Amino acid sequence: MTLLLPDILLVVLAALVMGYDLYKGNNSDSSLPFHLSWVGLCGIFVLLFCLPYDQTVLYLGGYQVSGTTILFKQVFILSTLFAVLLSRPYFTPGGSQRGVLKYQGEFLFILLLCTFGMFTVVSARDLLTLFIGMELSTIPLYILSGFYKNDDLSVEASTKYIIMGSASTGLLLFGYSFLYGAAGSLTFEAVAQVCMANPQEPLLKLGMLFILAAIGFKLTLFPFHMWAPDVYDGSPNPVTAFISVSSKAVAIAFLLSLIYGPLAAMHNFLEPIFLVLAAITMTVGNLGALKQTRLRRFMAYSSIAQAGYIAMALLGDAGTARSAIIFYLFVYAAGNYSIFFILSIIGRNGRENRSELQGLGKSNPMLAAILMLSAFSLAGIPPLAGFMGKFFLFAAAAEKGYYFMVFFAALNSTISLYYYLLLVKEAYIVQPANEPAPLVIDGMQRVSLLVLTAIMLVAGIWPSFSNGVLAVAG
Amino acid sequence: MNGPFLLTMIWVVPFITALACLPVRVDDHQRIKMISLIGNLINLLLVTILTCKFITVSAAQPVADGAVASLFHFTYKVGWLKMMNIEYNIGVDAISVLMMLLTAIVIFCGVLASWNVNNQAKEFFVLLNVLVAGVYGVFVSIDLFTFFLFYEIAVLPMYLLIGLWGTGRKEYASMKLTLMLVAGSAFILAGILALYFESGLNSFDLQTLSQHHFSDSFQYIFFPIIFLGFGVLGAIFPFHTWSPDGHASAPTAVSMLHAGVLMKLGGYGCLRVGMYLMPEGAQMWMDFFLILVTINVLYGAFGAIRQTDLKYITAYSSVSHCGLVLFGFTAMTFTGIKGGVLQMISHGLMTALFFCLIGMIYGRTHTRTVSEMGGLMKVMPFLSVAYVIVGLAGLGLPGLSGFVAEANVFVGSFSNPGTLNRICTVLAVLSIVVTAVYVLRAVNDLVNGPIKKQFATLTDASLLEKVPVTILLICLFGMGILPGWIVELVNNAVHPIFNNLMR
Repeated sequence: MTLLLPDILLVVLAALVMGYDLYKGNNSDSSLPFHLSWVGLCGIFVLLFCLPYDQTVLYLGGYQVSGTTILFKQVFILSTLFAVLLSRPYFTPGGSQRGVLKYQGEFLFILLLCTFGMFTVVSARDLLTLFIGMELSTIPLYILSGFYKNDDLSVEASTKYIIMGSASTGLLLFGYSFLYGAAGSLTFEAVAQVCMANPQEPLLKLGMLFILAAIGFKLTLFPFHMWAPDVYDGSPNPVTAFISVSSKAVAIAFLLSLIYGPLAAMHNFLEPIFLVLAAITMTVGNLGALKQTRLRRFMAYSSIAQAGYIAMALLGDAGTARSAIIFYLFVYAAGNYSIFFILSIIGRNGRENRSELQGLGKSNPMLAAILMLSAFSLAGIPPLAGFMGKFFLFAAAAEKGYYFMVFFAALNSTISLYYYLLLVKEAYIVQPANEPAPLVIDGMQRVSLLVLTAIMLVAGIWPSFSNGVLAVAG
Repeated sequence: MNGPFLLTMIWVVPFITALACLPVRVDDHQRIKMISLIGNLINLLLVTILTCKFITVSAAQPVADGAVASLFHFTYKVGWLKMMNIEYNIGVDAISVLMMLLTAIVIFCGVLASWNVNNQAKEFFVLLNVLVAGVYGVFVSIDLFTFFLFYEIAVLPMYLLIGLWGTGRKEYASMKLTLMLVAGSAFILAGILALYFESGLNSFDLQTLSQHHFSDSFQYIFFPIIFLGFGVLGAIFPFHTWSPDGHASAPTAVSMLHAGVLMKLGGYGCLRVGMYLMPEGAQMWMDFFLILVTINVLYGAFGAIRQTDLKYITAYSSVSHCGLVLFGFTAMTFTGIKGGVLQMISHGLMTALFFCLIGMIYGRTHTRTVSEMGGLMKVMPFLSVAYVIVGLAGLGLPGLSGFVAEANVFVGSFSNPGTLNRICTVLAVLSIVVTAVYVLRAVNDLVNGPIKKQFATLTDASLLEKVPVTILLICLFGMGILPGWIVELVNNAVHPIFNNLMR
């Protein structure tokens, strides 16, 4: 029971937020739900550190808690926490050029529920639970992406997301039907037995291909990445940040638990597929980002490329791939959220275009420095955490002898460095045509940015971070 | 102070210097410059102590003639990241000590030469010191991972240093330079990971890896990858194009440091990682690279003839002279490799002085076009004489450092009996003639002839400016007249690398 405490608390937290909202009525502009959420999330984050890392199976083998699941849950909680903090100014008048969001209680409730879905995905030990978790973590995002209810872009984003998302759910279930057909059961053990007995089983292969297509949608793998730029651009900023981190993390957690769990025996069959998908995805993402001037579209393409790097680690062995990916998710979350916080700050005064960054180096050196560090961390420049993260991802692929894939990915990083440098150039080198309006940074944003920067600076070089991840997940 | 601690301090001090600059008020330029100067002076002292200690230690422990393992002194190793068993693993041999000495001298002079940077001085000196920390870090690491980490730290600040404080087409040049160098590190990264996993030793330690005999087919593929990767920073043809643009656009101190020291990281990596770990690969590929670097040497020299901008002339001559470093290595003879190492030092001093002088001249005339100048000897005799001397060092006049290095390179290269080596040596020697053409022509246009009216009131170097020039001149003469101890040290370090190459 104590093992499930974080999951239970998360649901309780969501219920409290919702309950308070119902009790006070929708138009309440009380900040209690907000404070309740972030304090609760911090509490759950700390609680997760206190749990034992041994694998424990609960509920007739349908649910498990282990070191890996705890680490993933920490990624999710961290991401939700920053999404909550990021969302605050959007619910206060004057917080964003795009207008004020309403129904904060509802927003937070949906966000927390979505996180619970993600918890379910990492802990699931049969296909049905896995599916339910996946849906629970996806459907709330459809609502959240359309949270600007009168904004065309936001509604468009939501619509596109629903249509693409439903199609992918269909593919996922279709894939499941093949696995069920082969194994006659939905538990991981049954599927694993069939897979061990006959890794060449065509039904399993076919099923896995469909599942991969469905997950490719969530992970924005080529050719299922098309929705990302529009949805990222149209959704409210905190939702975009949440989608770019959590939604990717849950997709990769889903894949990890399948391909290193019941389907481990057919890893050989999947390797060339991952190889091609990862290679194309990172190239498409990087080339797409080159010409973007709207920063949220830019981040969409950048995160597509990052998905390519992450998928590359799936080529490696279970332990290496898991620890590399989890470590990378932490640093990727830090880099991405840091950029989105900066977007929320500049979004107070204007559109989130790249040219809005001009003159930042002089008018606000601290913010410009953080922007540079985040961009460099995402590009994988040492000694920032992003470098170590990428190094371990590449190492996971190199371990199996895919040296040329590493070479290709490293060259891709060079392309990505170009557009990350464009951000730095805009902030430091380009002289603004007219004096930019002074930026307002509130305390919450300041603290969040400092925490994120600290993670980026320290996580790579302070050994206990990566050593800890390795010890738990490896 | 014990050796390993000294080594760590040497790369930590610039970081501390950079951090110490942060709390200073933005417009208090004087204090920021003083902090940088003091930090780098301390480092110069530390490196000097290190050199003295090293000479004593290596005299006590001479390298055996047949040794195949590089002898690193002051080694220290401690586990760092458990993933992939990455270690903080430091140690130096003679090459790295000499390169650190070069770095310390060049950056100390560089800080003095950039005393007139007043635009965002704080950011400038912070980035400059971070860059220097990276350079020292490369020279002290013998773990491939930390080596690569510091290597990248040394490359990246360059983007802002050129983009913000540069001149001319600075945005284009800085982007080109950064991207080409990072693309080079993509080669290196793939190579390092391949070395790690192929050896199966679960170690990035250079000495451990050198014990492993990599299969010939592996070396055949990965030697050129590593060599080209580092070669990009060494401006190997056809990946040299970042160098003229980058060096011409960079501010004075950055040009000095980049052409003087950073380009040497390329040659250093080629030797230490490429040729030391994969000797069979080196044997297989040397003819190919020999041709490339011969083109380098000639192309750089002829390119310099065509240029009218002083900085471009020097930048192209850097391509040519840095080519000689790799040319020495590709000779695959003991003398040749030794010459290459000597050329790294000699060229570092020479080109730093070149860029330093050009910066000072440009600061006065506000033009770098050779034909617009003339008669500067009359108004600035000190700078002009220094320019003439460094020009002569460039074309290898005996008594100056260039002669020692180039003589070794060419003798070493010609002593390889291969026909291709002989032909290439003859061609490369021709570059000296071409060098004479562009150096003497620039000198002639610059310092001789009637003085232009608008330049008649210019002043000679101030005392502050004379200091770096004098230091570098002394080093140039010192290495030219008393090369004995340097050659002795380099001999010690090259022996094992060469023996390993011929195993």
